[in-house]
Amino acid sequence: MKKVLIATLLILVVSIIPIFAQGASESSVKLGFIGPMTGDYGNYGNLISKGALLAIEQKNAKGGIAGKIQIELIVEDSEGDPQKGLAGIEKLASSDKIVALIGPVFTGVAFAVGERVQNEGIMMVTPSGTHKDITDIGNYVFRTVASDGLQGDVSGHYFYEKLGIRKLGVLYVKNDYSQGLYEGTKASFESRGGVVTIAETAQIGDKDFKTQLTKIRASNPDAIYIPNYTAEMAQILEQATQLGIKIPFLSSDGFSNPEIYDLAGDYTDGVIYVGPTQVKESSDYKKFVADYTAKWGFAPDSFATNAFDAANILFETLEKVYAKNGKFDRKAIRDTFAATKDFPGVTGTVNFAENGDLVAYQGVYKVEGKTPKYIGTYTVVDGELIEIK
Amino acid sequence: MGSIAEFFQHLMNGLTLGGIYALIALGYTMVYGILKFINFAHGDILMVGSYIGLFTFDAIRGQTMGPWTVIAFFIAMLAGMLFSAGLGMAIERIAYKPLRRATRLAPLLSAIGVSFILSNMAAWMWGTKSRKLDYPFDNSPIYLKGVSITPHQILILAVVIVMMVALKLFVDRSRIGKAMRATSLDQDTAKLMGIKADKIIAITFAIGSALAATAGFLIALEIKVYPSMGTMTGLKAFVAAVVGGIGNISGAMLGGILLGLLETFGVALLGIPYGLRDTIAFVALIIILLVKPEGLLGKAEKEKV
Amino acid sequence: MFNFILLILIYTAIFALMAIGQNLITGYVGLLSLTQAGFFAIGSYVTAILSVTYGWNFWLTVPMAALISSFFGLLIGLPTLRLKGDYLAIATLGFGEIVRNILNNWDSLTNGPMGIQRIPMISLFGIQISPYKKWGFLVLVWIFVLVAYFLFDRLAKSRLGRALEAIREDEIAASSMGINVTRYKVWAFILGAAVAGVAGSLQAEFILSVTPGAFTFMVSIMVLCMVVLGGMGNFKAVILGAFIIQFISYFPQLVGLSNVIPPQFKQILFGLILVVMMIWRPQGILGREKRSAPRRLFRSGGDV
Repeated sequence: MKKVLIATLLILVVSIIPIFAQGASESSVKLGFIGPMTGDYGNYGNLISKGALLAIEQKNAKGGIAGKIQIELIVEDSEGDPQKGLAGIEKLASSDKIVALIGPVFTGVAFAVGERVQNEGIMMVTPSGTHKDITDIGNYVFRTVASDGLQGDVSGHYFYEKLGIRKLGVLYVKNDYSQGLYEGTKASFESRGGVVTIAETAQIGDKDFKTQLTKIRASNPDAIYIPNYTAEMAQILEQATQLGIKIPFLSSDGFSNPEIYDLAGDYTDGVIYVGPTQVKESSDYKKFVADYTAKWGFAPDSFATNAFDAANILFETLEKVYAKNGKFDRKAIRDTFAATKDFPGVTGTVNFAENGDLVAYQGVYKVEGKTPKYIGTYTVVDGELIEIK
Repeated sequence: MGSIAEFFQHLMNGLTLGGIYALIALGYTMVYGILKFINFAHGDILMVGSYIGLFTFDAIRGQTMGPWTVIAFFIAMLAGMLFSAGLGMAIERIAYKPLRRATRLAPLLSAIGVSFILSNMAAWMWGTKSRKLDYPFDNSPIYLKGVSITPHQILILAVVIVMMVALKLFVDRSRIGKAMRATSLDQDTAKLMGIKADKIIAITFAIGSALAATAGFLIALEIKVYPSMGTMTGLKAFVAAVVGGIGNISGAMLGGILLGLLETFGVALLGIPYGLRDTIAFVALIIILLVKPEGLLGKAEKEKV
Repeated sequence: MFNFILLILIYTAIFALMAIGQNLITGYVGLLSLTQAGFFAIGSYVTAILSVTYGWNFWLTVPMAALISSFFGLLIGLPTLRLKGDYLAIATLGFGEIVRNILNNWDSLTNGPMGIQRIPMISLFGIQISPYKKWGFLVLVWIFVLVAYFLFDRLAKSRLGRALEAIREDEIAASSMGINVTRYKVWAFILGAAVAGVAGSLQAEFILSVTPGAFTFMVSIMVLCMVVLGGMGNFKAVILGAFIIQFISYFPQLVGLSNVIPPQFKQILFGLILVVMMIWRPQGILGREKRSAPRRLFRSGGDV
């Protein structure tokens, strides 16, 4: 029992040290981040948090908010589990006293944490939670990513109208992101008169898609839509080539992660995907990609880009709130953030709709070899596909 | 594409998937055969071995593809195997050996602890992104009457068969193999007969871990290398080993292939949604265990009072 | 910080319920079962579906959660109990994966990977027990734990408990003494499942939403760790085990270290503690309650 006692004492001593170390300093302001940092989806949390972190380091290098207040990002690991996500927000809200939250990364955790921040009065902005209902939680919930609804709408219409596809095969993964895009695209594609001839599914973490691809080929569609994450898509494209499938592939914003060209190699040629607009390859976007890659050693995906924008919009918000009130008030931050108008982000001009959704357009890209070529920017208004010039 | 060609395509897909399960299951079954416990860290040893192989390959292969690339590939595989063998022995010495006499559960939980440590160390040191392992040969498919077969698929099936035969010969014929079987049957008696049981167990771990690295390195060509690459495939491989009769080398092979075919044809012919693939695997497992509780090729243990 | 301790205590209670069930199955009967995640998921979804889709009151969903979980306990228990040791472990682990797999794919009932949101909060005599205001919820979950503890501890010290222990120590001897081995094993399974189902109900009410991703086999493993770490065959010990595991899991967040150390360190630390703990005290912190005959804990070759 003696050993147990000593161990307990040690744990207690260690626990108390950081409490003393946590001196409340006026010269910093804290933002929170929640995402999967370990486990199967650790890569997504890592990429996205680094987007926010880059924005913060750049801002701090310029002196921070009002030229004197440094910004701190507190990252909490959700492991993709709502229970862990709730523990994260509990800590961020009550121990760290964050003024705003970037994240959570995935829909499941976003719902649980969203209810919590709404109740607590802390605004959150998810750079990657695409489920259409997330922003319905309440007025404290925002996103800098297009909802499934919009992307699906544009995809379905574009495939039917511009690509002339009538029979679509789909291979999606049974997770919220992939299934959300499939459902959105199917609805708009079929509203135009197209037919989804076959929709095959895969499980999270699957690496073998040959069975589904063989079945899809047998149903003979005009194109195969694969709204998945990067690693899965690389796998699908490679195995399709191995099976000798010549049907064109269509994809989603998951394809905007340059890692795909590393993983899938030459198999990416000819893929057409709908993703975020990048204001026709703006110089801001190029600079962001260069900075990010130089800093972390790997390239950002579209969600990391969204997190970078979210952080920068938050800085602008914090500047305004601080200039007006001289302190950071959670309610004022929410109101000012909601009133953001025409923010020049690296993903394009950012505005928020009444419900906290991003007012966004969708870019369409065609991959030639290993380079995505920008085709155009589209949105859907009243069931009509409209090109934004 | 005719339906016969489609059938054979599914058959080929199922065989290779099964081959992958069998490859991992061989290592599982070796370790289980001796120690009678689920080495939960097996999938993680597989992952570490794949990383080491990948690093070695990228360091020595040079710029151009040629015969050297293939040699470099096998040198890299050997490096991964050696490292894994050492790692497996170290883990056994530190985390399992002190628990030889404890309850059945203790080494199981210790193994889970080791699995946590390995996968998270890897994520921390090597990052979480998938890394590509390039094929050392041209992997363009060959077509046989409309059925595509890749060199990689053939390689996997060939290695499984070679490894199974080699292992079987080793365990059945060699001196060490005999000592292994003796240790497996009864550790205490084996010791009394002059067999250094601890040494035999360490060797078994080294071989099992090297097999894991081989499997990992070969499947990494297709699935890439990342920290959790061994987890789910490893679990399935374990199911395969149990189905075949755990501890039985031919059983591991049979179980692996059977599982791969079941998953593929359950989806392809019976029209079960692919999302339910894991359900097929586990339902098959439960049914097989009910009919033959010791697995397809396992030996029934007599209960002694 | 203080709020965070309350949160840990709530999670402790929810997992302690599962650990109590696991203890009956593993600690008393000696069956290495890894199903708790499955029953936990079933309980969560029963409460979520009944309260969101059908508008049931939480208090009616709890007995349903227990009932449906125990039905599945019976369903999985009857056939698999023929299996021994690791075979049982892998078959029961398979059951947990099947449950998660089906929840993820049965879209019309479970809403698939999207999960179910907006679960109405618990209310008792018109007072809402909000998970945001932790005290009420904390008291509620601990009442559940105390009731379960009381019931299971009584049960374990009754005729049933002695029969179960007899089965663990020597199945053949037990059956020759006239103990209906299968019946008792199945009962242990049913009761263990029921209490895990209740834990699921409470979890759904605390998170206020359910998604299939939260019920991986790691949950079962965690619960097993709690039982072994605390001490098998000792209900007080497994509650302590639940607290210790949750405390370790959330320790870096509690003391504000989670942002300082790499996120993987928390998991590595957890792994290290497991290994060290098993080597240092494989019988758990408190060990088995000393009541009867000499123990055979250190005998090798037993099932558990």
